[in-house]
Amino acid sequence: MNKRYETIRHLGEGQFANVYMAKDTETGETVAIKKIKLGSRDEAKDGINRTAIREIKLLKEIQHENIIGLRDVIGHRTSIQLVFDFMETDLEHVVQDQKIILMPAHIKNITMQTLLGLEFLHAHWILHRDLKPNNLLMNTMGRVKLADFGLARFFGSPNRNYTHQVVTRWYRSPELLYGAKSYGVGIDIWSVGCILAELLLRLPIFPGDSDIDQLVKIFNVLGCPTTEDWPTMTSLQSYIAVKTPNEEPPELQFIFSAAGPELIELMKSMWTFDPAKRCTTTQALQMDYFKVQPYCCLDEELPHPNRQPAKRRKFEEKSEGGPGVRRLIFE
Amino acid sequence: MAANFWQSSHAEQWIFDKTELMRSRSEDYKLFTEEEYAKFHIFWANFMTSVATEGVHVPANNSRIRQQVIATAVTYFKRFYCRRSFKDMNPFLVSCTSLFLACKVEEHTPLSVSSFLKNTAQILPKKWGVPFDSSLSKNGNVYDAEFVLVEILDCCLIVYHPNRPLNQFLTDINKNVQLREFDQIEAQCHKVVNDTLRCDVGLLFPPHIIAIASLVVGTELMGRGDEIQQWLSELSVDIDKVVDCVDQIYKMYKLWRDFDEKEQVKVLLAKLPKINMMPNY
Repeated sequence: MNKRYETIRHLGEGQFANVYMAKDTETGETVAIKKIKLGSRDEAKDGINRTAIREIKLLKEIQHENIIGLRDVIGHRTSIQLVFDFMETDLEHVVQDQKIILMPAHIKNITMQTLLGLEFLHAHWILHRDLKPNNLLMNTMGRVKLADFGLARFFGSPNRNYTHQVVTRWYRSPELLYGAKSYGVGIDIWSVGCILAELLLRLPIFPGDSDIDQLVKIFNVLGCPTTEDWPTMTSLQSYIAVKTPNEEPPELQFIFSAAGPELIELMKSMWTFDPAKRCTTTQALQMDYFKVQPYCCLDEELPHPNRQPAKRRKFEEKSEGGPGVRRLIFE
Repeated sequence: MAANFWQSSHAEQWIFDKTELMRSRSEDYKLFTEEEYAKFHIFWANFMTSVATEGVHVPANNSRIRQQVIATAVTYFKRFYCRRSFKDMNPFLVSCTSLFLACKVEEHTPLSVSSFLKNTAQILPKKWGVPFDSSLSKNGNVYDAEFVLVEILDCCLIVYHPNRPLNQFLTDINKNVQLREFDQIEAQCHKVVNDTLRCDVGLLFPPHIIAIASLVVGTELMGRGDEIQQWLSELSVDIDKVVDCVDQIYKMYKLWRDFDEKEQVKVLLAKLPKINMMPNY
């Protein structure tokens, strides 16, 4: 690959890159190397993949301890390899590992690290646009870092329209689901709220299987927004009135029985329907939740999955639902 | 667009002083005199602007490529030839690739490589009487060159342009000094900023200096330089740098005026070293 880096093993394959674990022979540190695929002639029609370009251009400009560090870029005639900090695991694995017990102090620490990284991004006018447990990486020191900037972009230019097809659906905010073309930091905050809920429940809170279903799942928990809550809602491109079966949604306190009132307050402000009224990262970090006991644990006290990483959600669904069902019918 | 210019790769890696710049171009100064070299860069900026705005082949939604994309592309081109010389890679290839990459970085509507090349093939003979080198016309060359370009640029893809600070200054002037026909001043200053792509100020000064210098030049060209004197004197800025930058912009205008592109471009192009299409590496 390169003289400086010795490949240890292949870690995984993404949409536009292969990721390898490697050793930096100069420092002795372990690093992750993302090798961007050139792909077939057909895929290469647009040259270097746009998501790769976004990742390179943004990560080159930002350094923060809660954001994945781009250490080096290796050019090799017709390919580019990005060298990142090596991170052992991600929050998706942590959430799914049944052996791990997440204490309130752990959750507070993870939430705070996430918000600190995000605050830095937002201060640089960058939206992440794809926050989910899978993109929050964690190393054995318990440091949490935001990763995967393939959808990230600058915001704040007036009169520029952005696509609303961003963010993995389960973590997508209502304004995106309603097709908003101009949006801001609120979409990332909403995702953080969903991730926080997932840390508490150990399951995704709003696992919608279509955009409409996503809205229904949200409204079932939070109630339907009124035009009073969110005046600009009806002017959004794909606004539709959704009726949910429960007129009276349960109190959040009932769903998150282990959460204190300060945590409920934080979630409510992250899940404010009107993006203009939703809290910002800075406001979130100043809320009482972070000021009351139990305080954040130390980074290194965070639990860590030490067994083989669990299979991805998608594969499990397939293996359980697919062939198994068919056999039942035929037999 | 990002918040902090001073912590950006632009500020840290891509602002040079004059001697550094001269040294980095020493290879090319063996082939071209300083004046020829400056003229050549005027041509490349003009050429890239034409390819981006005048060709028949335009992006899918029929919009012309925005000035910001052009500015970024020209900056890539200039930065590339700070690190490499003309004999390393064909400037036509680098200019096309710069535009192609800038479109992506600035999140502009995608434009296919073929349209760039078709535009080039059409514009070169028409505007400058130069035949189009058909060995260029392979899309694959641009894809390969893109990797090289990103690497030579050391992945620094975000460029800060003077337009944004210029807008801030203009707003500020409009608030403090009542100027008549303000929109004309605005247009003139933006035109000057766009013209600064034809000289080296983008490699020598931070964008706010270029913006102030463009304000000075813009108002002076309209014969209304006095009207912003008061405002200028209250600025807390390195005025020597502004003066230096103003000088360079005027020098460029003078050079551009005396530059008969139809005649001289051919001569300059003939001096280019013969190189392979594929970058030497």
